[in-house]
Amino acid sequence: MSDIQSVSTMVEGDMSDRYLTFFLGETIYGLELFRVVDILTIPPITPVPGIPSYIKGVTNLRGKIVPVIDVRTKFNQMEIEYTDKTCIIVVVIHDMQVGLIVDSVSDVVTVEPNEFTNPPEFGGNESNKYLSTIAHTGGRIILNIDCEKFFANDLDMFSIGGI
Amino acid sequence: MSTIDPNMELMAGFIEENTLLLDTLDEIMIESEKSKNISEKNISEIFRIMHTIKGNSGMMGFETLANMAHSVEDVFFIFREDPSKLNIVQDSIFDLLFQASDFIKNEMDALQGGDAEHQDPQPIIDQLHKQVARMNGESGAGAKEPAPAAGTPNAPAAPAPAPSAPDSLAHSVNGYYHVQVFFEEESRMENLRAYMLLSQLKDWCENLESVPQSPESDSSLTAQIVKNGFYIRFKTASTSEDIMEVIRNTVEVKTASLISEQEYVAAGGTPLPKQVEAPPAEESHVPQADTAPSTPTPAPSAASSAPSSAAPKGVKQNLISVNQIKLDHLMDLMGEIVTAESIVASNPDLKGLTLDNFNKSMRELRKLTDELQDVVMSIRMVPLSGTFQKMNRIIRDMCKKLDKNVNLETFGGETEVDKTINDSLADPFMHMIRNSVDHAIESPEERRALGKPEAGKVTLSAQNIGGDIVITVSDDGCGLDPVKLMNKARNQGLLTKPESEYTEKEIYNFIMQAGFSTNTQVTEYSGRGVGMDVVRKNIEKVGGTISIDSKLHVGTTFTIKIPLTLAIIDGMEISVGNIIFTLPINSIERSIKITSNDQLIHNTDGTEMIMLYGQCYPLIRLHELYGIETSVTNIFDGIVILIEYGEKECCIFADELLGEQQVVVKPFPVFLNKYDIKGYGLSGCTILGDGNISLIMDANSLLHLNER
Repeated sequence: MSDIQSVSTMVEGDMSDRYLTFFLGETIYGLELFRVVDILTIPPITPVPGIPSYIKGVTNLRGKIVPVIDVRTKFNQMEIEYTDKTCIIVVVIHDMQVGLIVDSVSDVVTVEPNEFTNPPEFGGNESNKYLSTIAHTGGRIILNIDCEKFFANDLDMFSIGGI
Repeated sequence: MSTIDPNMELMAGFIEENTLLLDTLDEIMIESEKSKNISEKNISEIFRIMHTIKGNSGMMGFETLANMAHSVEDVFFIFREDPSKLNIVQDSIFDLLFQASDFIKNEMDALQGGDAEHQDPQPIIDQLHKQVARMNGESGAGAKEPAPAAGTPNAPAAPAPAPSAPDSLAHSVNGYYHVQVFFEEESRMENLRAYMLLSQLKDWCENLESVPQSPESDSSLTAQIVKNGFYIRFKTASTSEDIMEVIRNTVEVKTASLISEQEYVAAGGTPLPKQVEAPPAEESHVPQADTAPSTPTPAPSAASSAPSSAAPKGVKQNLISVNQIKLDHLMDLMGEIVTAESIVASNPDLKGLTLDNFNKSMRELRKLTDELQDVVMSIRMVPLSGTFQKMNRIIRDMCKKLDKNVNLETFGGETEVDKTINDSLADPFMHMIRNSVDHAIESPEERRALGKPEAGKVTLSAQNIGGDIVITVSDDGCGLDPVKLMNKARNQGLLTKPESEYTEKEIYNFIMQAGFSTNTQVTEYSGRGVGMDVVRKNIEKVGGTISIDSKLHVGTTFTIKIPLTLAIIDGMEISVGNIIFTLPINSIERSIKITSNDQLIHNTDGTEMIMLYGQCYPLIRLHELYGIETSVTNIFDGIVILIEYGEKECCIFADELLGEQQVVVKPFPVFLNKYDIKGYGLSGCTILGDGNISLIMDANSLLHLNER
């Protein structure tokens, strides 16, 4: 378990401008910090049939059963072998916990309001449609993920298949 | 007025008790309305219920509720005196009582949501008063109770309300203080306020006594308290100023003053023990006692500390209500213990050791945890009858509104289910019954024309079948029309395959899809196309299934199947590749090692069958079904398990049986609800001793899988 665990409880006050950054290859992505509840090294994952390939299965998070999504697969990037740097970031969406597999976790950054730009509307790759903003801060470019968009496909509850 | 107790637990208890009482009330009322009469037993029961509600509400400071209950109580007070009076008001009294009960119920719901009181009770109360007046008008006698200060004879030895006169007297006699309290005028139900005051003082004082004794037990004492004030005697370690402060700060207390012992005795109190060893011969001491109207005077309780045990409770004494969160927690812990036990029993450190004593102790422990688990489960079990009963009320109201005649028959209400399941069934039942009454059952005229009995019938039945509870909701209405449903489905673009391929069952299932309503007319009760899909979702949430059977012009039957308990099952762990599945033991018939090639039959469509004991069973290879890589693909190397559910059987092929273990069933994460995992023969997951997750297989859906 990582030492960054429970960042959310360490940081007090308004967290809306704070992001947890992580790597996929060379690219830095950001997640809204208030959604993050935990960061762990890869636990054993039990595959579940009948779900999209980017959901790797379910894992046991302190007695809770949590689905795990491989962000690489979701972004249509090549899957790589999990290493000891590979992490699961557990986020909360609509009161549900979901684990996100990422290459490695970087750090928490505070983004000033003037450092945001909007993502390009057209073109770009699979990952761009899940972005909320792009932040230029500290000489780095961070692609901030919009969790609502990211999970939209799975949260679409009204298309439950046949009976 | 705002005396909402900050103590939420008290509040929860208040809501819980009142809800229970209201349920009982509804039950009695429905029964009584049917027989067009209220039996004497029921009259006193309703009286008691209203009295308790009034008392509770008064204590919690909800005046609206207390007033409402009080008005109903007034009506029943008259009935109790003279049941024949019921005839006078029979036409309107039932509706009125239902309104009153609904009013209180709504207030309860509002309170539960954290709101304060908000409805206006006056119209109903006025109506109730009118009924009281009607009955009194007819007879001239009767209710002496309603108005708080009505017609009580004069009280002889009482001091006039000039409270501060005897201030200079020595108030403390051996540490005893005497206090006279007056309540605000028009504060209503002074007897209950007096009781509240006593309860409040209990924390501060010893040897608490009052005149009158047990004020809460008799509302007729109200007048006495209004007129003479309420007298209290107590002994306290605190200073008199502190206590007076407490008293004066109590709600609706107008004045409170210290008085001498003589005054207390003069008001009807017992003298202090050292002077006379006073037997509780109250009658002789209490001049005011005979001012009480015809209701029986309170039982003279011996000079005890506080009159708290006087509330009528009946058999309830043996029951305690527990917060469900605690029970859920207990249940979780139980699950943890079962898991922990498995970890110990199958600990890898013990492998290969001969441990006779250890095994013996382990068996003992297992026996105890099994027993404990049974008890924990049984605590959570509640009979379905309560939920069934509520449907009576819904049918009654709908019949009135829609001018239909429908009877509800229930069977198997004593069947017990887990509380969580019971709670999640109320809504689906309500939807289904509303649908039945609103759409399915025809108007009396139509029914007559069709040659059916004029009164429609809705049947609710529940029974235990195997490990499941099977509940059916059926009506003898018009039934579902497959042709109409098909047209509608086509218009809404719900068809996913050629029309001719739809079976009747599949067509019926359309009604459980979101947004599908066959009723062209939207009524108050149904027709918006939400409903049946919500029903399905609610039932699936607790691991159940629902199916529909219908015959045009004959009726419709919904069959709901729900697992008896969601919690802990005996499972067989089986491995496929490096994944461990859990199969409920009760669905395993036997496991077989296949030895001869003759037993394996290949069908032309690529499926396989196994010949066992002269019978042919279809074979499902789990590694193929779930796409798992394994070295065991030869039928001779692995193990074949014959599973059954109901009448159906089939064989599944796995690598190895790992052993039996009790597992705690957990549902799949909500996040995955969108995906049809259950369609793959899986019903949930469980956490194994080593912390890994195992998927639980479900024989029923595996067998369905095979049929497809």
